[in-house]
Amino acid sequence: MSQLFSKVVLGGALALLSAAPALAAKDLVIGVDSNMPHLDPANTNDTLSQSVERTMYQGLFGFDKDMKLIPALAEKVDSDETATEFTFHLRHDVTFHDGTPFNAEAVKVNLERVMNPENHLSRRSLVSMVSHVDVVDPYTVKFVLSQPFGAFVNNMAHPGTFMISPKALAQYGKDIATHPVGTGPFKFVSFATDTVKTTKYESYWKPGLPKVDSVTFKSVPENGSRFAMLQTGEAQFIAPLPAELVKAAQGIPTLNVVISPSIIARYVALNNMRKPFDDVRVREALNYAVDKNAFIKIVFSGYAEPLDAPIPPKLAFYSKQGEWPYDPAKAKALLAEAGYPDGFSAELWGATSTLAKRAMEFLQQQFAAVGVKITVSPLEAGVSTAKLWNVQKPEDATMQMDFTAWSSSTGDADWGLRPLLDSKSFPPNLFNIAYYHSAEADKAIEAGLGSADPAKRAVAYAEAQKIIWKDAPWVFLSVDQLIAGESKRLSGVYYMPDGGILTEEAALN
Amino acid sequence: MSEMAIGTVRIRSPLGEFWRRFTRRRVALFAGMVILFLILAAILAPWIAPYDATTPDYANVLSGPSFTHLAGTDVFGRDIFSRIIWGGRVSLTVGFVSVALGCIAGMVLGLVSGFAGGFLDSLIMRFCDVLLAFPGILLAIAVVAVLGPGISNVVYAIAVFSMPVFARLVRGSTLALKQTVYVQAARSIGVRKLPLILYHILPGTLPGVIVYLSLRIGTSILTAAALSFIGLGAQPPSPEWGAMLSDGRSYLGVADHLTVFPGIAIFVTVLAFNLLGDGLRDALDQKLR
Amino acid sequence: MLAFILRRLAGTVLVLLTVSVFVFGFVRLLPGDPARLVAGPDATAEDVAAVRADLGLEGPVWRQYVRYIGQTLRGDLGRSAKTRQPVIAEIGARFMPTLWLTLVAMGWSTLFGLAVGVLSGVKRGRWEDQTAMVLAVSGVSFPSFWLGLLLIDLFSVRLGWLPTGGDDDWRSFVLPSITLGAGVAAVVARFTRSAFVEVAGEDYVRTARAKGVPERGVIWKHALRNALIPVVTMIGLEFGFLLGGSIVVETVFSWPGLGRLLVDSVSFRDYPVIQAEILLFSTEFVLINLVVDVLYAVVNPEIRLR
Repeated sequence: MSQLFSKVVLGGALALLSAAPALAAKDLVIGVDSNMPHLDPANTNDTLSQSVERTMYQGLFGFDKDMKLIPALAEKVDSDETATEFTFHLRHDVTFHDGTPFNAEAVKVNLERVMNPENHLSRRSLVSMVSHVDVVDPYTVKFVLSQPFGAFVNNMAHPGTFMISPKALAQYGKDIATHPVGTGPFKFVSFATDTVKTTKYESYWKPGLPKVDSVTFKSVPENGSRFAMLQTGEAQFIAPLPAELVKAAQGIPTLNVVISPSIIARYVALNNMRKPFDDVRVREALNYAVDKNAFIKIVFSGYAEPLDAPIPPKLAFYSKQGEWPYDPAKAKALLAEAGYPDGFSAELWGATSTLAKRAMEFLQQQFAAVGVKITVSPLEAGVSTAKLWNVQKPEDATMQMDFTAWSSSTGDADWGLRPLLDSKSFPPNLFNIAYYHSAEADKAIEAGLGSADPAKRAVAYAEAQKIIWKDAPWVFLSVDQLIAGESKRLSGVYYMPDGGILTEEAALN
Repeated sequence: MSEMAIGTVRIRSPLGEFWRRFTRRRVALFAGMVILFLILAAILAPWIAPYDATTPDYANVLSGPSFTHLAGTDVFGRDIFSRIIWGGRVSLTVGFVSVALGCIAGMVLGLVSGFAGGFLDSLIMRFCDVLLAFPGILLAIAVVAVLGPGISNVVYAIAVFSMPVFARLVRGSTLALKQTVYVQAARSIGVRKLPLILYHILPGTLPGVIVYLSLRIGTSILTAAALSFIGLGAQPPSPEWGAMLSDGRSYLGVADHLTVFPGIAIFVTVLAFNLLGDGLRDALDQKLR
Repeated sequence: MLAFILRRLAGTVLVLLTVSVFVFGFVRLLPGDPARLVAGPDATAEDVAAVRADLGLEGPVWRQYVRYIGQTLRGDLGRSAKTRQPVIAEIGARFMPTLWLTLVAMGWSTLFGLAVGVLSGVKRGRWEDQTAMVLAVSGVSFPSFWLGLLLIDLFSVRLGWLPTGGDDDWRSFVLPSITLGAGVAAVVARFTRSAFVEVAGEDYVRTARAKGVPERGVIWKHALRNALIPVVTMIGLEFGFLLGGSIVVETVFSWPGLGRLLVDSVSFRDYPVIQAEILLFSTEFVLINLVVDVLYAVVNPEIRLR
């Protein structure tokens, strides 16, 4: 009896003494800002779920920490000149977490699952141009496309085409979303929408990796609480670290602040089919009216870069265009020339987040200085998708100005331009909510897609960006910088330009 | 209790009696004066605020309290002290109007429900149950999604989800009061239903209502702040205190003055209303004996 | 009494049915397309149509409702649009943390509030009363997210005593329950005090005192019972509110509760989850109100319930 009693006392004392949960030295905890709905890579569209999936899954190709395309489960790829046939040569030494070998048959099973319309997978559009998949030999697989698609290899690097164990697919069916089985450095342990636990996969095909025993993702939506987690040591990496707290973090000796470029472009889309935005002089005036540097300083606490092309620098085939300098006098002159000497009134839409509201207030102040009176209308996500994306005909669009952002998750210029600025992309097909229509731009964008030759694509996209920059369908604002906070004990965790987190090389001392 | 002077009988009117009771409680009196002061400041905002509430000054962002800016400046360089004075208008209006609406509607429902009993009582209470089942936040989100963002829609939302609480409270008191000798006697001498409710039962429910009302004005200001927390409160560039507090929380630890001053403004206002409510309740209560 | 309870339970079914119709139509009135929201920004129109079919959102609304009622009666509350997990699992995973937090917060705050309220009521007018009331009022005058963040800053970051969030062990309950309970304690204290003050001057109290009945007997038997009714009402209501989860506390403390689930599912127009959660809340409220009404009769037998 007294033995039990003293054990209880000792246990209680120990529990009380350890304030933060005691962690083994090699367990990595990552604090993130939103929930992870589920883990089926073919059905998720947020970078957070994709980051978690990246610990357990891989695709034929992948991205390194700078969003450069690198081979992953495939060693190399050949394609024909018309960009309609792609042949991937696979690695021989890979196994899934459940022991199933990775081979061409597994690739075929996976791709056909995503392609199958009856599965209703939301990433199906990544592979909708595939006509059929052929197993040439156990480690060679050929994709035949129904139309040319130069960016196809990028699509094979997108999380939507990650490889799942065929045995697990057969076993779990739809529940694969909560029982991931892949080829990645970490194995699945448990899932809840705000906590995902994984553990080291001993038979990972890259030698020497992974270096930590486990990775746990915890969702902590409140910025202050997430930062507190990093300070107490409950987490060793948090992303994002809000820009406002960078100064505070830099003052703490045990922490590092990691700042990296992103592919998130921020701009104000103008309805190019509606007065007064149909006049290019008005659009130019609005671009001259905004002081981009002040915008960055106030809204992002200095942690952003001005947007100097229609797409951010880290996207493939980016071509720098220059800047729209801050010149309110010129803005007023242009407005007068266009017939609005006293300015005009308009409504600016945007999200309801603190950041978006701050940005919209700033824009309201800047535009007011040149006579353009803006009403700020933050819209909740559901409402804004209804008002922007579900509009059936251009004439019915009520949008005047919309503060928004775009991130091309394929890392390629195509997805950063075509869905937003091609005239075939008017809602509800895609997302050209600015209703920009230029035959020359269309031609250039489509030429970029029609070839697999990087040189030809570069020329086409440079041309497209030049035309778009001059036409100014948007008010070009900034490119986010990604900010993460990490413990000085941690190395090898990278925050990719699209907001994804790479944990493959994580190491803790 | 009335005083007697030798030779004369001095009888005070009920109002005078109430005033005497009320002014006896110094804390409540002080709170009342604070509230009057706040209301006055809100009305006189255009004349007493040193700066405009919306003019930015990018050279001067996030600066701490100083002689030129008593409460410092915000992320756009706007003077926080002035914004708090202007914001008083918004916050006080939201507080008063939303609670007044909810209280009146709730009292009507509660009195009818408690007094009538039976099927009508069940119906009204089930209706209140349905309303209560809708978390206020959901209702607010829905109102805003349908009617659009803006402070007036927030007022309606808060009124709607205050109403069933007042109804339940008043119904409970009504049920108890119905049984008292006082009311039974009045009934037995033939007092009709409407005067019975208005003059015999309603006053008895007031103490509970007043206590809750005073709490509620304060908490509706806090509810508006909570709605700003999820992005639905007053819209930019309105200097509503809750919105200022919510926007400033990103800078906790870096520029604390952004949260401290609106936080204090909210705290003082809510505190004053609550203390006032106490005093009123006590003073009214004596009158009713 | 039994007949009363049974009748009320029968009425509950009617209430729940009404609520289900109401919320079913209500969420569909909200502007926004769930299929588009779930499919996400990178999806094409065909992707969205596929998702819409998957979510069962095709066809006329009344037919969707009939299907919904049929499924619910069979115990199948559907799958979440966002996570594709069964709704029962989603809500179940969050119900227990919310319930535990509610019980802890209500527990300490009710006891604390009652004690303070009684103290104030008995010592009415004196300094104990004044200070207690000012403290109680302060508890309810703080915006809860500010209080929460300040508590985290003090107790987690600076002192390192308590965790910043999550619901791992008993220590995680401390800060969130303080933040949640502060408001409740204040409300209970003030209503209790009010109850005391109100009846202290009652004729029958004075009579009992004059008759020589000991003070404690006076307070309990005669003063409290009637006056406790508003207190009981408020405790019931607060319990009901807290069971719905608090979006603010759950966000600040990363508590896996029902409040966050509701707000997130509204943002995503996740109809099955919203519908199920509202049904859960209304069931809770109806049951709580039933208990409160029964308590009225227990506390004061003169109240006749029909």
